[in-house]
Amino acid sequence: MSRLIEPGARVLVTGASGLLGGSVAQRLSEQGYQVTVLQRGASGLAGVHEVRGSLSDPAALARAVQDQDAVIHMAAKVSVSGRHEDFVEVNVRGTQRLLDAAAAAGVTDFLHVSSPSVAHAGASLIGAGAGPADPQHAVGSYARTKAEAELLVEARGAADLNVLILRPHLVWGPGDGQLTSRIIDRARSGRMPILGSGAALVDTLYIDNAVDAFVAGLRRLPQIAGRRLVLTNGEPRPIGELITGIAAAGGAPAPRLRLAPGLAKGLGAVVERVWALSEKLAGPRADEPPMTKFLAEQLSTAHWFDQRETQHALDWTPRVSLDQGLALLREHIEATGSVR
Amino acid sequence: MVSLRDLSGRFAPIPAAGARLPTEHAPGTSFPGLDPAWSRLVTAKTEDGPRSFHVLDTGPLLEARGITPTGTILAVHGNPTWSYLWRQVIAGSLERARSGDAWRVIAPDQLDMGFSDRLAHPVPPAAEAPSYRRLPQRLGDLDALMDALDVDTGSRLVTLGHDWGGIISLGWAVRHAGRVDAAISLNTAVDHPTQEKVPSALRAAMAPAVLPAATIASEAFLKVTLSLTEEPLPEAVREAYRAPYTSRLGRGGIGGFVADIPAEASHVSRPALNDVSSGLSAWDKPLLLLWGPKDPVFQDRYLADLQARVPHADLHRFEGTGHMLAEDRDLSAPIFTWLDDHFGAGASRAELKSPAPAGRVLGMHEQLDTLAGSEHRDSPAVVDMTAEPEAWSSAEDAGTGDRALSWEELSAQVDALAVGLTYTGVRPGDRVSLLVQPGASLTVILYACLRLGAVAVVADAGLGVRGMTRAVRAARPDWVIGALPGLTLARSLGWPGQRISAQALSARQARLLGTVASVESLLSRHEGASPDQVATPGAQDPAAILFTSGSTGPAKGVMYTHGRLGALVALLVEHLDIRPGASLIAGFAPFALLGPAIGATSVTPDMSVTRPATLTATAVADAALAGSATMFFGSPAALRNVVATAGELSALQRRGLSEITLVLSAGAPVHPDLLDAVQEIFPAAQIHTPYGMTEGLLQADIERRQVIEAVATGQSGVCVGTAVAGVRFALAPLDGLGRPAEELRDPAEAVGVLGEIVVSAAHLKAGYDRLWQTERTSRRDTLDGLIWHRTNDIGHFDAENRLWIEGRLQHVLSTPAGPLGPGAVETPVDALEEVARSAAVPVGPQGTQAVVVIVEPAPDRSLRTGRSPVAETSFAARVREAAGGVPVSAVLVLDELPTDVRHNSKIDRTRLAAWAEQVLSGEKVGAP
Repeated sequence: MSRLIEPGARVLVTGASGLLGGSVAQRLSEQGYQVTVLQRGASGLAGVHEVRGSLSDPAALARAVQDQDAVIHMAAKVSVSGRHEDFVEVNVRGTQRLLDAAAAAGVTDFLHVSSPSVAHAGASLIGAGAGPADPQHAVGSYARTKAEAELLVEARGAADLNVLILRPHLVWGPGDGQLTSRIIDRARSGRMPILGSGAALVDTLYIDNAVDAFVAGLRRLPQIAGRRLVLTNGEPRPIGELITGIAAAGGAPAPRLRLAPGLAKGLGAVVERVWALSEKLAGPRADEPPMTKFLAEQLSTAHWFDQRETQHALDWTPRVSLDQGLALLREHIEATGSVR
Repeated sequence: MVSLRDLSGRFAPIPAAGARLPTEHAPGTSFPGLDPAWSRLVTAKTEDGPRSFHVLDTGPLLEARGITPTGTILAVHGNPTWSYLWRQVIAGSLERARSGDAWRVIAPDQLDMGFSDRLAHPVPPAAEAPSYRRLPQRLGDLDALMDALDVDTGSRLVTLGHDWGGIISLGWAVRHAGRVDAAISLNTAVDHPTQEKVPSALRAAMAPAVLPAATIASEAFLKVTLSLTEEPLPEAVREAYRAPYTSRLGRGGIGGFVADIPAEASHVSRPALNDVSSGLSAWDKPLLLLWGPKDPVFQDRYLADLQARVPHADLHRFEGTGHMLAEDRDLSAPIFTWLDDHFGAGASRAELKSPAPAGRVLGMHEQLDTLAGSEHRDSPAVVDMTAEPEAWSSAEDAGTGDRALSWEELSAQVDALAVGLTYTGVRPGDRVSLLVQPGASLTVILYACLRLGAVAVVADAGLGVRGMTRAVRAARPDWVIGALPGLTLARSLGWPGQRISAQALSARQARLLGTVASVESLLSRHEGASPDQVATPGAQDPAAILFTSGSTGPAKGVMYTHGRLGALVALLVEHLDIRPGASLIAGFAPFALLGPAIGATSVTPDMSVTRPATLTATAVADAALAGSATMFFGSPAALRNVVATAGELSALQRRGLSEITLVLSAGAPVHPDLLDAVQEIFPAAQIHTPYGMTEGLLQADIERRQVIEAVATGQSGVCVGTAVAGVRFALAPLDGLGRPAEELRDPAEAVGVLGEIVVSAAHLKAGYDRLWQTERTSRRDTLDGLIWHRTNDIGHFDAENRLWIEGRLQHVLSTPAGPLGPGAVETPVDALEEVARSAAVPVGPQGTQAVVVIVEPAPDRSLRTGRSPVAETSFAARVREAAGGVPVSAVLVLDELPTDVRHNSKIDRTRLAAWAEQVLSGEKVGAP
């Protein structure tokens, strides 16, 4: 029986300013791990050691990894638009610098957070496993650069680090300012489309389950090193039903706007060009485009995964079912008045 | 490339060339599935000198592994293939050599074929052209080759062949009958009646003017042969077959073989062929025939010839395959299982037995004879409410009018017809296809067949015309007895068998339909005759072939012997307490025909038996009154319509129905609500919903009140009750991927475990007809020395020994949480008021499948979201709640679920699953 990474161990979490990173850091800390967080701004977390800095700053990285037993690497540029070079700097070169720093500091275990999109060339995913990352065919800058990052991590795994790659798919829930609040906002204003019949089966991941899975993954990392695992609730649902359910949790009416998938992809392509042009002219925009080719594909083709290996390897099962998650989201929004 | 010189009639001589290994053919290329280690070149002393053969031979490999073979298989390919044909058999033999018996396979390329020596041909191929190999020389070549190979003469020797290789291997086997222990052949022919035409596909290539061009100058013959597969061959496999024949110089043997087809009596090879065919007629060792029925050359008539010569041959007809069945199916499984049954551990299977029957087994017509000679002789035996009045001569009972036959009359007619059929040429063992609607006439014909030992083939119209054609071709009846619609079909679709009409026909009609006799005239001509000269069939003699519904693949013929049908009759008598003098209304065909054997009056209600949903309550009541009936046998579809039309019953008719003490519904499960409604119409009746299948018509039974008790326990599936007398159940638990275990378990020790239901009983089928492998697979178990039948149904047993059916094996949902029968979800969903019926189907890969529920809404309900097939969210939530612990990924809505033709009740889940997979992948799709 090889070792486990138990409470008491020293762990660096990058990207702790996001919902998932922050929640994981918080939970680890509560469980008795010695947690250091690295991000550009303040984490707002209690009970953790904080290092400020970016993935472009080798000195900050060296400070952050010093004396750590393990690293959970969540920091990334996540967006459906933006300059490709920016994605490369953060997601590819940033990951490389962190890997180098960790190895140099004698860190033994590295948990890398990725995305199922790194292995996805656009076709339906039906009960799919975690295929190898494919930068050539991944769609969009985010997926391509994350795919390259995965390959870097795997190369390191073959050399001098225990690595584990986790690919959570569509995390949602209370506090999620990305997917969840956007669906609700758009549904409230009648701008949330359902593509086609809305029947494409899509698997998602409720935030609390994601946090559980990361903690489980860290703990068992030395035993399951070398694996890539997609993380979901294991409850595929028709996308139309998911969107309607999330909207309803936010008190929004069921989306009525329906778009043909082909039309949406076409629109997406146009919008992407307009966005790129406006960024070229006026610099990065704070908002996200309403539709991209990538998004149209995500919303109109099946995306669901075989969770048997994941659940077995992590010794983890989702604690909150999809329907329970929707009820919790509704309670949260009713209590706080907001998703966040 | 086509050589113009050959086409213009001038033949360029073909030079001799030496044998080589396939690896030398084009270095670097590999042939899929062929291991170069199997290849060797062997020089043999043939009658015209030493010749080199390329041979696939696993002998050296086995020796290197230190394995002594159980025996040797000599596999001979045909024209224009080569030993590559046998690669899967060879691979299978080596795979099995690890665990069980090891068979050495020797598969030569025939001379002038494959990679063996090429002969010199100065002239084009023709029957008399001396440079080409003839059948006798081919046999001699095998002798020489076997001498050159060190084959252990002390061990078993089996031949295997295909096409021309079938003739040659069988010829070699009969020539060495003392040494060869068994023979196996794929599509071939050992005889061709000279008055019959050669199949058109071959005739073209055999014409002397065309032969060299079709076979040598071009690849036409080769290419056509390689196209005779179910699915197109993969490119690399095609190329492997072509490899030795890409040049004109390599194709001399192809032309030589075609020229050697001894279709004419005067052909030089005809005497040798006659030796093979007559030798085969004396073959008393095991023979296995593996047949592709869609072969334009070796058609079913050649199969019939082989079977006539070797009646004890085992046969599997692979529906859907043709000439190249060795490519369409992995034949190593049936071949090695068959060999093991004859020469290995499987030989002990011959001692397996069925349990004792439920009661005393009588001959099928014994009750008929007894009653005809008893005080019941004038009581009605058959009452046919579909018959026009006057159609039946004299009935004593005023209540039955002109529609009845008394026991004495029925017995006399059966005897007369048995004699008449014998005069017409029908022999014991002949197969007689019955294309007559159920009723008195069919009863007379059926029992006449049973009396004389002819085998009744019952392919019902519920299979649809295509299904019936396939079924009739498979069973290949010697005779067809039909009413006009059936005969017209038989004639226009070219179904096999000599035709006999039910009614007397005008000379012109008879000529048009090609009939040789009519039942009506045989009855009048042989009135008063008795079949004393015809021996009474024995318990082991075949009696009837019924067909499965074909809802899960092509309909299968199910063979019953007299003894097994007799055991079924004994069970019905015992279980339902039917005594002579009882009277039953037969709304469900299989049971209807058993009335005379039971000794009960059978009343056919006025309905179209092939469309059970047309049976009305008044028709049942009239039948009950006319036949003083106490029992009603129907199907769920019939019961539904009886309930729907109950309002039309008069007071008298209601009284008639209140005399019914037993209602039996067979064929598919019945909803408890329907049972309640049926009870209201038949107030005095016990309502039984037994479980059975074409392979064993009655296995378990349950009564309405027991159904209500069972349903209250809230288990998955449909409760079909406990085993009836003489039936033993066993369970083959399913694994995570939904596959049934090989090891059987006693139901009492596997309570609540989902598995395949396995059954053993004296009244089970004798076997699937002409489907050796299917039969062997279905009866593979040997628990307690019994013959078992794998039902393909899945379900579980509860602590009260009740059986709950949860669907078909091929419809199992293999979810990440384990396998699941569709019934586990459908039963609770069907109970929702919005739902007419539902189907639970899987999408996604085995082992991680998602559960999808497809709902047919109750009338006037719309449950979808707009035009999308996705159910509205609130209804989906209700379905998920009903499904309890089973996670339902999606709920889809369809206006009507597709069902099978015969019962109109078995939901086509396979089709629905394919549809759901498309819909849920996001594709735009229409109806399933």
